[in-house]
Amino acid sequence: MKKYDAVVIGAGNGGLVAAIRLLQGGAKTLLVEKHNLPGGFATSFRRGRFEFEASLHELNDFGTADNAGDVRVLFDELGVTDKIEWMQIPEAYRVISRAEKLDATMPFGVRAFIDKMEQYVPGSRDSVTKFFELAEEVRLAQAYSSAVNGKTDPKVMVGKYGNFVRAGSYSVNEVLKALKMPKKARDILNAYWCYLGAHCDDLSFVHYASMVNRYILRGASMPKMRSHEISLALVERIRELGGDILFNTEAVKILTDAQDGGVAGVVLDDGTQIAARHVVANCAPHIVFGRMMDKVPECEIRAANARKFSGRGFTMFLGLDADADELGIENHNYFLYDTMDSAAQYERMRTIRSNEVQATVCLNRAFPECSPKGTCMMYFTTLYMSDDWGNVRAEDYFRTKDYVANKMIDRFEQDTGAKLRGHIEEISVATPMTYARYCGHPQGVIYGYESQYWDGLMPRLQMMAEDHKVRGLRFAGGYAMRLSGYSSAYFSGDISGRQTVGDIKKEG
Amino acid sequence: MPFTFKKQIFGFMDLLRFKKLVPNRRKKLESGSPAALPKSYRVNETARILHPGYQRAKLVAVEQNTADTKTYTLETQNPFLFRAGQYVTLGCKVGQSEVSRPYAISSAPKAALGRKISLTVKNCGFFSGYLFDHASVGDEFTVGDPSGDFCYEPVKDAEHVVALAGGSGITPFYSMAQAVADGTDNYALTIFYGARTAEDLIFKKELDALVSDKIKVIYVLSDEQKEGFEHGFIGAGLIKKYVSGDYTVMMCGPQAMYAFAEKELASLGLPLRRIKKEANCVCSRDVKAEKYELTVHIGFETFKIPADSRETILTAMERAGLKVPSKCRAGGCGFCHSKLVSGKFAIAGADKRRLADAKFGYIHPCCFYPDSDMELIVPKA
Repeated sequence: MKKYDAVVIGAGNGGLVAAIRLLQGGAKTLLVEKHNLPGGFATSFRRGRFEFEASLHELNDFGTADNAGDVRVLFDELGVTDKIEWMQIPEAYRVISRAEKLDATMPFGVRAFIDKMEQYVPGSRDSVTKFFELAEEVRLAQAYSSAVNGKTDPKVMVGKYGNFVRAGSYSVNEVLKALKMPKKARDILNAYWCYLGAHCDDLSFVHYASMVNRYILRGASMPKMRSHEISLALVERIRELGGDILFNTEAVKILTDAQDGGVAGVVLDDGTQIAARHVVANCAPHIVFGRMMDKVPECEIRAANARKFSGRGFTMFLGLDADADELGIENHNYFLYDTMDSAAQYERMRTIRSNEVQATVCLNRAFPECSPKGTCMMYFTTLYMSDDWGNVRAEDYFRTKDYVANKMIDRFEQDTGAKLRGHIEEISVATPMTYARYCGHPQGVIYGYESQYWDGLMPRLQMMAEDHKVRGLRFAGGYAMRLSGYSSAYFSGDISGRQTVGDIKKEG
Repeated sequence: MPFTFKKQIFGFMDLLRFKKLVPNRRKKLESGSPAALPKSYRVNETARILHPGYQRAKLVAVEQNTADTKTYTLETQNPFLFRAGQYVTLGCKVGQSEVSRPYAISSAPKAALGRKISLTVKNCGFFSGYLFDHASVGDEFTVGDPSGDFCYEPVKDAEHVVALAGGSGITPFYSMAQAVADGTDNYALTIFYGARTAEDLIFKKELDALVSDKIKVIYVLSDEQKEGFEHGFIGAGLIKKYVSGDYTVMMCGPQAMYAFAEKELASLGLPLRRIKKEANCVCSRDVKAEKYELTVHIGFETFKIPADSRETILTAMERAGLKVPSKCRAGGCGFCHSKLVSGKFAIAGADKRRLADAKFGYIHPCCFYPDSDMELIVPKA
């Protein structure tokens, strides 16, 4: 039987980073991936003259060599930063909301953001400035928490990060109201909420502030050759470090030790058994505990059942045969909402019929050469806050996806004045079924477990140690302790990979 | 000046709340249901119908259509669905080799939900020759996932499709015609179907029976003058004679037909978005025969196999009996995506890889020829 110190199941963003960390820590590591490509959602695909980005809108917290963000620092440590060509995203976002007749375009950079907000909402400067001070304290407190693997000293927390602790138990809206932020400023600031997929009455302030800060403070980046470039760079690094990778190979079972119930090995789809006492699972606990293990502790089943799936993904990709100027696509990144009342908006996002939200990117606005001269490409993403796609029968599937695609095009044209119809050369649509197929996620969920108030970033980080209940089994990716999103998934792989190295060393 | 955040009257009340985060979550997790977690989910089940992956299939009927074409009807393991115009791979063991080829589906999408699928095959190569001579009812095959973008896209395509079919290139259009006739799809379809003689037309009777206000078929014979048939090749003049207004052209046929049709279409001034072309399989290349050695890593094993400069890397691996992924055999689908460790190569036609694939040395063996000894890492099939 082949023997490894650790097997990483799934070559998504979390799994790839975990594998590098394991190898750097001296562990003999096998990475298995059921698809024929690495990256999970972090990939690209070609249609005609276009190469579409599959999922990345913008990578936050990367920064530049002399103003490095946490993701760049991580990539430097992994040894992959220089394998990738990076470019900067020009502006933060444009948010358009119908109910409030809101249309605001926000820049990167904390000072520029505050100034622009003051222009849109006179009198907002004080509260928005406080928001960013608070957000920076959140960032520092989290850095401290990560540095001590979640075992924070209460005295340090209260002494050095008092505002963070005092704000730490509240929702986004509770804190922004306490800061006396004018409503319109809250509306503009809350535009990013759909990136985290819980509405602002339920979404932990700490989590939201941390993300907004990561975007605005250092701007956002994008690899030139789409996220596939990052994924292949990480694979390259794994091979350089002597790791083994099997693509087209699904891990179907995790074997457990009869004595302690911990990890004993992994069974692959062709029946091959791999001996290993450590697994980093870059997939949902629902999958691992639902069908990959014969004996599952009841506490893990209860915990999985208690949690709520986050949004199910839908993305339309368009290759257009005219450039962005000609079509009237002015911005890189759009959020189109019915209302900035995110709780009400969240409700409308439950069904295929009522959901008209979209987060839309025109990549050429960041990188004009990403498609041939005289063309441009766009991707439009939304989330479904219930399992409504589960109600769609196979025979109605194609009609349903066309219905949503048409609605997205109409909405974008109406809200921005751009003209897309008559210029669509290539179209491709990914539905929850597509995400379920490629990544195996239940119901086509793309954001892991929802960042609900009770299950938010803070308590997950604080409970990292006690959430680790099966010896040798740790999780990475969107379902893990850092929640979903590119940077979060990379960080989760970093944490679980390093922790597993520690576990191995302890065993001697 | 740094400010002090406070939500409640006294800051310590905010602190207390923060302290409760962990106990709250702990309680919540403990109070979850002990009922077994689901083994599957509805969306994932539907995804399996849309993308069944490889499945076993039994040959249930063989029909000779013309002197050199036969239609093979198979019963699949599972019900599934595809979009009219798509292809599947059909494969089995031939001698020591695992062989598979992509074929356009000629039956209707609805039939696949009833586990029936028909592939119409022209006897023109190694595997089709095997099928012609040896396949008989009751034989077992492997059918791959329905694939390809050669389909009608209601969101962007014109409401009128002009199909240009050459020879066995009629197969996807016969599927599309059935889908329009049975209401699965909704658009007008005008098929220009070119063949040498009336004898060579596949599905003529079946197509004639489908003609309606939505479906028209114009037969174009190159080697025969006959009443009720157009004579010559499918060109701009003929298209203009039968269709006008906005339409999307879809073409499927041999390379020679594409070369001719593309020139003709240029004179019609159609934009790229109005033209779709089904890719043909990559064949051998006309170069001096050279022998090379390929070192191929699959899973935990390494194989040393011979390769011929005239044939693709995929063909070399198949000849050696290696089980490797293959699907479109035209370089576009990326299913055979493999890592090149070392060696020189040439690409058949346009490079259809992703940008980062080229940067990090990944290749598509189905359309890459060896120009030296090579070493590659190939995923298992």
